[in-house]
Amino acid sequence: MTTLLSRPPEAISKSAAPAERPPRKPRGWIGTVATPVVVFVFSSMLTFGLGALSPSNPAAAVLGETATPADIARMNHEFGLDRPLPVQYLDWLFSALQGDLGRSYFTTIPVADSIFAALPVDLAIAGLAILLAVLIGGAAGIAAALRQGGRLDRAVTAVAAALGTLPPFVVGIGLIVVFSVLLKALPAGGYVALDQDPVQWLRFAILPSLALSLDIAASIARQLRTSLVGQLGENYVTGAVVRGLGARRVLFRHALRNAIGPALTVLGIGVPMVLGGAVVTEKIFNLPGLAQLALQASGQHDIPLIQGTLLVTVTVVLGCNTLVNLALLRLTPQGRR
Amino acid sequence: MSTLTAARPFTKLRLPSARVAVAVLAVVAFLAVAGGAVAPHDPLLQDPDLALRGPSLAHPFGTDYLGRDVFSRLLAGTGTTVLAALESVGVGLALGVLPGLASLWLGRAVEWVLLRAVDAVMTLPFIVFAIAVTGVLGNGLTQAMVAIGVLFAPLFFRVTRAAGLSLTRAQYVEAAELFGASRWRILRTHVWGKVVPTVAVTAAQATGGALLAVSSLTFLGIGVQPPAPTWGGILASDLGFLAQQPWAPVIPAAFIMVAVAALNALADAIRPGGAR
Repeated sequence: MTTLLSRPPEAISKSAAPAERPPRKPRGWIGTVATPVVVFVFSSMLTFGLGALSPSNPAAAVLGETATPADIARMNHEFGLDRPLPVQYLDWLFSALQGDLGRSYFTTIPVADSIFAALPVDLAIAGLAILLAVLIGGAAGIAAALRQGGRLDRAVTAVAAALGTLPPFVVGIGLIVVFSVLLKALPAGGYVALDQDPVQWLRFAILPSLALSLDIAASIARQLRTSLVGQLGENYVTGAVVRGLGARRVLFRHALRNAIGPALTVLGIGVPMVLGGAVVTEKIFNLPGLAQLALQASGQHDIPLIQGTLLVTVTVVLGCNTLVNLALLRLTPQGRR
Repeated sequence: MSTLTAARPFTKLRLPSARVAVAVLAVVAFLAVAGGAVAPHDPLLQDPDLALRGPSLAHPFGTDYLGRDVFSRLLAGTGTTVLAALESVGVGLALGVLPGLASLWLGRAVEWVLLRAVDAVMTLPFIVFAIAVTGVLGNGLTQAMVAIGVLFAPLFFRVTRAAGLSLTRAQYVEAAELFGASRWRILRTHVWGKVVPTVAVTAAQATGGALLAVSSLTFLGIGVQPPAPTWGGILASDLGFLAQQPWAPVIPAAFIMVAVAALNALADAIRPGGAR
């Protein structure tokens, strides 16, 4: 029972509506690459449309109450706001594709610069979180499947179910209370860049990464356990054992390859969850990431900065989903057929 | 899905877990309506002499850094939190269910556009999108929850679509078409009743998710101006005083988690075809 926010919509619709149609066939190479492009165009329209919905005139907001209509017109012209919307959208999209996301209304700092100062923080934390999730969830799932019905299996299942119901901020605050306040072992917040001092980075990054990873680790453990238990009961596994192949070879070369699909899908959906959950985690651990930028931009109604953060987040999410789909195509026997 | 349980989806409400869930939700609903009135203290009353006290008879959950009664703040904050969650689920239902049915009955072009739009909306992370929307449309809880509701729409869309998909080829639907029944009549009399139980389950789950989203947003300071109390806001103010009161976040967190768990249990209880 995972909380809804941290759970892929597919998983919910699956559990809510009993299987009424066959599982979707894995897409071919072309579909895997072309679909995200179409989705990106839709997402970028949404992102741009959001800015166009804004009721406030940015020029008037920046220039203040003393601005004359001529000043406002001049600033509107400077930011290209006096052109028709479709022209603005296409211009914005093609500039964005070339790495130019416009300038902040307030600081006139290029949006891309602000974002690429903040993004490495999130990528480093999210990367570590995914790594932890794969290690913890993978090990727990395989161990539980190998000792199916045993004490370890029941322990993994119970812990995974409990972790699934915890909201991400509760995990984060709990980790701070235990490791920072009570044990005084790790800092409660702050950040050092990875390329400055990797050891210090790890001290600051480990708690937020752990907080972000546990939910996904729990999903991976559950999915992997279920599908691996199913695969281990198949005839081909018995056949491989009978042919005298080593237990390790049977597990990693045969059973795991077939069982890994659902866990990989969870991982692919986990990436946007990590980025979404990172907002709250960044706040708890006081990290200078993309979410802080979004919060600040939101407070100032800084439309280009808001659009930029949203577009970059969407792009990262789509990129990760595509990578996972490609990995699924490559790894699973069904995908290669 | 057996037709029998689909036709009577609420029989499992007599299960003990379902009864507890309904009781918890009844208390939450009561507090949402009357929380401010039954609170023992004024939730906004500051008393510097009482700041950061532990639990006592007068203040069962202690006091916060301004000496405000945490119990009263939690009760008074229930209404805002619950109303916001219901708002987002309502938006999600409105934007998801009918397009979900439309994607099945209005032809392939409509289907293609709707599916791509759903894929696009699904790439938006909940909290970041809500922050962006409040940045553009103004920092209000309604704006934030409409944003969350838009992101819930794909969920309802997919669930409705999945539940309706098998019905498009069901024999009695074909028979109704042959008799010349209009699309609208088929949807109303033959499809609607089969889709509603599934949508109800999803709505219960989504309300749990929405409660977490409201709590996350108010935790971040989105949507509500201090000193107005919300569950997430109380959690955020506790975070600054972990050194003095490391136990304090447990209380608002427990309120959130108990409500979410009750909604999940309710979803399991009303699920057609057995609680899984």
